[in-house]
Amino acid sequence: MTECRLTINKKEYSVQVEEKWTLLYVLREVLGLTGTKEGCGTSDCGACKVLVDGKALNSCSLLALKMVGKDITTIEGLGSSDKPHPIQEAFVEAGAVQCGFCTPGMVISTKALLDENNDPTEEEIREGLSKNLCRCTGYVKIVDAVKLSVKKLKEMK
Amino acid sequence: MSKIIGSKTPIDDSLAKATGEAIYTTDISLANMCYGKLILSTIAFGKVKSIDFSEALKVSGVIDVLTYKDFPDEKYNSALRFKGHGILKTETVISETVRFVGDRIGIIIAESLKIAEKALKLIKVEYEEYKPLIDEEEAAVSEIKLHEGINNKVGTIATGAEADIVSNLIEKADFIFEDKIKIPMVNHVSIETFSVIGDYRSKKVTVYASTQNSFAVRVLISDVFNMPLNKVRVIQPTLGGAFGGKLEVVTELVAAGASMKVGRPVKIILTRKESMIASRTRNGATIEVKSGVNKDGTILATDYRILINTGGYVGSGMNVIGAMSHKLLKMFKYPLRYTGSPVVTNTPIAGAMRGYGSPQAFLGMHIHLDKIAKSLGLDPVEMLMKNIYDNKEVDILTFGNPEIKACLNRGKELFDWETKKSEIKEFNKNNPGLLRGVGVGIGAHGSGVYPAHQDCVNLLLRLNEDGTFNYWSASHDMGNGSLTAQKIIMSEVLTTDVIDIESTQVNTETCPWNLGDYASRGVFVEGQGSYKLAAAMKDLILETSVLMFKVHKEALTIKDKKVWLDNKALGSFGEIAMYAQTTLQKELTVLIDHHSIAGRTSYGAHFAEVEVDKVTGGIKVIDYVAVHDSGTVINRYGIEGQLEGGIHMGIGYALSEKMTFDDKGNLLENNLKKYHVFKANEMPKIKVDFIETGDNGGPFGAKSISECATVPSAQTIINAVADAIGEHTTHIPISKEEVLNIINK
Repeated sequence: MTECRLTINKKEYSVQVEEKWTLLYVLREVLGLTGTKEGCGTSDCGACKVLVDGKALNSCSLLALKMVGKDITTIEGLGSSDKPHPIQEAFVEAGAVQCGFCTPGMVISTKALLDENNDPTEEEIREGLSKNLCRCTGYVKIVDAVKLSVKKLKEMK
Repeated sequence: MSKIIGSKTPIDDSLAKATGEAIYTTDISLANMCYGKLILSTIAFGKVKSIDFSEALKVSGVIDVLTYKDFPDEKYNSALRFKGHGILKTETVISETVRFVGDRIGIIIAESLKIAEKALKLIKVEYEEYKPLIDEEEAAVSEIKLHEGINNKVGTIATGAEADIVSNLIEKADFIFEDKIKIPMVNHVSIETFSVIGDYRSKKVTVYASTQNSFAVRVLISDVFNMPLNKVRVIQPTLGGAFGGKLEVVTELVAAGASMKVGRPVKIILTRKESMIASRTRNGATIEVKSGVNKDGTILATDYRILINTGGYVGSGMNVIGAMSHKLLKMFKYPLRYTGSPVVTNTPIAGAMRGYGSPQAFLGMHIHLDKIAKSLGLDPVEMLMKNIYDNKEVDILTFGNPEIKACLNRGKELFDWETKKSEIKEFNKNNPGLLRGVGVGIGAHGSGVYPAHQDCVNLLLRLNEDGTFNYWSASHDMGNGSLTAQKIIMSEVLTTDVIDIESTQVNTETCPWNLGDYASRGVFVEGQGSYKLAAAMKDLILETSVLMFKVHKEALTIKDKKVWLDNKALGSFGEIAMYAQTTLQKELTVLIDHHSIAGRTSYGAHFAEVEVDKVTGGIKVIDYVAVHDSGTVINRYGIEGQLEGGIHMGIGYALSEKMTFDDKGNLLENNLKKYHVFKANEMPKIKVDFIETGDNGGPFGAKSISECATVPSAQTIINAVADAIGEHTTHIPISKEEVLNIINK
């Protein structure tokens, strides 16, 4: 076990980790931040996406020890039911949530996409979500949710 | 109709899900909980001679290793639906004889998941190995039996028109067409894998499970471990997708038994690969179909034979075979003889998956029909129209209202079928590297399980002191929005908002009994139950108002959560509940039961345009239209979302998804790199619409959508590809190699 300091959702955590533990394992099993989901463990579905220095990455394939000094944001860091992020509101209002297991990862990918490109075309949206699998929606209403997010974020400015 | 029926209502727990606050089974930790890691067979057929776990036990943090000797040898059928359900029992909690790669042979219990995973690598298993049977056709005729006393071809269901009538009619036709179609197993790929916690304490077991079938899990635990039913509690936390895959008992019995052994809560989370090989799949199938057809495309009769691969154990094999027959007979009006058998093989267990046999049944049938239409030079839509039921020709009271022709007509119009057909001819002329084509597919599925067996639900509703409601429904919402639909139905009756009705998780100790959630019964059966429940609550509110306001019940109405006499509001629901509590000293609660005997069928017609790259053989779906007859739309968001998701699953079925095995029974597509689920940038634009003339037996004329959504989809794509390249492919999913071979002929 090695002690390391991780910055997650603007908070500092001091955690004991083993060399091979992934960020996902530390988030869920050590810190109890269960909003980030595991769908495959092989970096193929995107359910475990978190923001690492603003980029949406699969936390199942990141070693926790290598995350020292990085700025990590999980779904819990974006908003809560009492104070949801506009992207989270958009996913709800567009009817983009069904079983919800992919949703945290989808929301994180949307955040990274819109931080980089605040007015994406539909093609860019679909490309931006192409690392996230959804089995419920056919992506139709998820794409709608990203479009609605764009609108909401513009209105905030 | 009101503003709420047919409105666009987000699923009730979507904010909790979008913020990561929703609690799924995998998110739950209990005090003193430990972790279980399944030891799965690495061979497809054989006997476990020995398991050496001495090295595993030396790992610090390993609590115990359990094998078949530690679990009851009581046989069960994981597809059990209710106490006394008479289906063949072939499974045990932990196996000594293994029948597929992934069969459970033991469990490691450890302080953490990581320790359990580490210990798994140190387990040494010696097997006596037999040659596995992988394919259903091979297993059906093999001398080697997988299960003692049971034929590999487990049984046969023959139904529909009489065999001699069908063969005579086929002989009399202008043409005879025959096809053989093989369909591989596929996987549900719920994004949430299987999770379970077994918690045995004080002679009572609680199981938290990603299940669609809590009350049946309770019965199986009671049967296998010989426990009274009131000492077994099953709780279903938020479900991260199921699609039928979580209908059967998978890990619940192991978790319960392991917890009994170690005296602590035991949590098991299956990895993606484990979920693929050690849970359930959609049956692979071999279909042989023969039809007699006249020149004008009228089918005189069809002989339809199907073998399905039910995997290593019998499970729901016979049930799927039975279910798939009815759906064909509810679509095609000509004499159709159906003969079907499930076959056990040394592959993962097949079970329920969205459509429960209908996707295979219609896929085979509709590829056959499309080939006939192409051979006779007929428009495939026109040919379908000649051979399917018209709602003017059936007795709507007994048959229901089949609006499949309206679906086809509306779909043709939305898709612009005629124009597209001529446009693609031009396109293909002008684009030498590409080939476009269009296709149509139809399908049907039921709404509820009757008449296969009883179909009933019990529901409870309480009016609170502030006018809000609590709702106890053992309706397993898998993300399909059935609970939201039920709340919309009740809101319509009670003039409330959806948010005023709070539902509980399924908990077999606190919820009234229900069947599991299968057979698309969430709206048609449970929804109709919730309608009756709300009507009973309305009646109770009015009766209480009579006592409170000293008025005649007949003169009263409800609106905006208040009771009214003419245009005057007498009191709010909350005030009436308070009156009941303080003056009558009672709570305003209603409990109802509802059973459905209607067994209605839902229908859908899909249209697709595809583009084939003549150099690579790659296929892009570029346009898609789906029109369904699900009766009245209760929640537009819900029904559209279900349909769009169903189409996604069907496109994968046609173009990319398959579970295939090497000759030793190892799954080749064992992760999500190799098992390709369509991504956002690979999906076409989808347009959906609904024929809403309605049917009888369900709430406000509603029928089902969830399973029916996926039934017409794969054949639509396959038929469109055939239109593009001029010939039907023979492999499902379509392979680029075969496409290129056909193009380059």
